[in-house]
Amino acid sequence: MTTQAWSAAWQWPRSLLKPSRILPLCALVGALGVGLVLVALSGVPVDKALAAFFDGVAGSGYALVGTVSRAAPLALVGLGFVVADRGKLTNVGAEGQICLGGLASTAACLYWGAAKLPGPLAYVFPVALAALAGGAWGALAGWLKARRGSSEVITTLLLTFIALQMVYGAVQSEALLRQPMTSSSTLPESLEIPAPTTLPLLSSGALPLHAGLLLALGCVALFGWLLRKSRVSLELYSVGENPRASLRAGLAVDRFVIGALAASGALGGLAGALMIQGDQHYLTSGFSSGYGFDGLVVGLLSRGSPFALLGFALLFGALRSGGMAMEMSAGVPSAVVVVCQGLIVVAVAAAAALERRRA
Amino acid sequence: VIDSLVVFLASTLRLSTPLILAASGEVVSERAGVLNLSLEGMMLSAAFGAALGAKSSGSPGVGLLCGIGAALLLAVVQAWLSVRVKANQLVVGIGLNILALGATTFLYREVFGGLSREVIPSFAPLEIPGLSRLPFLGPALFRQTPLVYVACALVVATQLLIERTRFGLSLRAVGENPRAADQAGIAVTATRALCVLYTGLCAGLAGAFLSVSSISTFTEGMTNGAGYLAVTAVILGAWRSFSTFLACLLFGAATALQFLLPALGVKLPTALLVMLPYLLALLAVSGLMGRSRPPAALTLPFRRGGH
Repeated sequence: MTTQAWSAAWQWPRSLLKPSRILPLCALVGALGVGLVLVALSGVPVDKALAAFFDGVAGSGYALVGTVSRAAPLALVGLGFVVADRGKLTNVGAEGQICLGGLASTAACLYWGAAKLPGPLAYVFPVALAALAGGAWGALAGWLKARRGSSEVITTLLLTFIALQMVYGAVQSEALLRQPMTSSSTLPESLEIPAPTTLPLLSSGALPLHAGLLLALGCVALFGWLLRKSRVSLELYSVGENPRASLRAGLAVDRFVIGALAASGALGGLAGALMIQGDQHYLTSGFSSGYGFDGLVVGLLSRGSPFALLGFALLFGALRSGGMAMEMSAGVPSAVVVVCQGLIVVAVAAAAALERRRA
Repeated sequence: VIDSLVVFLASTLRLSTPLILAASGEVVSERAGVLNLSLEGMMLSAAFGAALGAKSSGSPGVGLLCGIGAALLLAVVQAWLSVRVKANQLVVGIGLNILALGATTFLYREVFGGLSREVIPSFAPLEIPGLSRLPFLGPALFRQTPLVYVACALVVATQLLIERTRFGLSLRAVGENPRAADQAGIAVTATRALCVLYTGLCAGLAGAFLSVSSISTFTEGMTNGAGYLAVTAVILGAWRSFSTFLACLLFGAATALQFLLPALGVKLPTALLVMLPYLLALLAVSGLMGRSRPPAALTLPFRRGGH
């Protein structure tokens, strides 16, 4: 072995210990530590709570599938954030784009004849429609930014609240997506989508792991590659850094802004379709339950690295799964997990900024 | 009909009050360039802090102070992280909201236990002598709890602070062009941090209003988006104090209508009424209805010499 290879091998573990990675890691561990203290305060034995948590995350094949299928939409939303961020655009509206995707997907599955389409088209068509709907919601913010100069931070946020109410309205009205009222106790939710329109399972066994995972991984791989290697990505970056110069250089700045937010929104819409056609199978008010905001954080924390993106998506998926298990089998208030999530978001965002300041 | 109109006016004012209080604070910090999505969390913590303080001391006044303290706690974190450390304002805000929701729910169950809707000491309505005797307007507007009048005073105070004081000039400069402000000798970081603390103070009043003035109890997640609605009011109000006040009144009226319309037999989907504020704000920022432009440096952290 040459000296060079030796020194390279010697250097590798050191790079892992770079301050840039230590700080967010400390933040993460610290936040989880506070969570444990809270568990202890709530009177549940810590070891019992931890056992329940890890059982819920990956204790059985079934639990692991739950964690992974929660991570998939988070990864898609995070990816959407990264795509927009490449052009210095901040898409805060993934929650709304998920809603639009869920609406389009449910409508297509139930009423727009997707179930009668042959073979895979039955589930591909609603998924595609969901991507279009989410993309349109993103493009609207893009258009307002490009043509009217409205800040996308504000418009995407407002569009989210509008979309949340659209879902609420749709499941409240029988003329829209509410299931037919047969009694006064009929819940305000849609019918269950027909079997052919649900995403196919990956294994023939008992594990309900659906194809949404492949879709998410495929998107991360595709966009990860595009963001690093493609010319469009470089142009988008230049538009974000200096729109005026990019315009002089002949780039259609408006189109990049609208396109980037549309792509970002389409990924949110896909996440919505995954949640409906893969996991929940019917539309309820608030079905997006904060995935858009969690996903935003996943995207921000990943800082453009596809592997970090998948890692953080898994972490947030695991927190959701483990938190639910802790509440159900160990009696720990789920609020403790919510506190943990909040702490992680704040601590890691702070650590990222502190480290940037040092650099 | 007159009676239900009186109820409508009175409940509009009551429902607008937390928005007016919170939005008055948010206008100040947004004009200085800091968007506090954590307004929601600040209000929720304040509502809980006030309920806890009022319950253990038996006095709503002490509760109010505890509420303000709880909101300021979050404001200090928001100010330190987003202004000094320069972390992403929106993410810090979202994180703090999640944290506040979890922490108040957890503490509520530990302290108050289960789902007890325990009634806590709260402010009694204050009749303004003379004015409360006015026909129609009296019962509608002048028999409210003290914080409602505080809210109206706060609008005037905020307007004067932004437009008429030296500090107001500094904060506007910091929000529009922090680099130029810095070169003119204004302490950008300190100014922004102070503005966020002012928001915390106002959010504290707003949250306390919910639990020890409007209804005398705390419920989990009781703000239910009021913080975001206040941020929306600032947008519709085009970042001006008085217009924001009007926007809050409009949103309060839209909420009151949700209760009034079914009583009058009018069928209108509630989703439309809830959506209305956000839709109007969207039209406002897109210039399709008036022209509303945010402060140029909103959400952008400032680094001397860098970018």
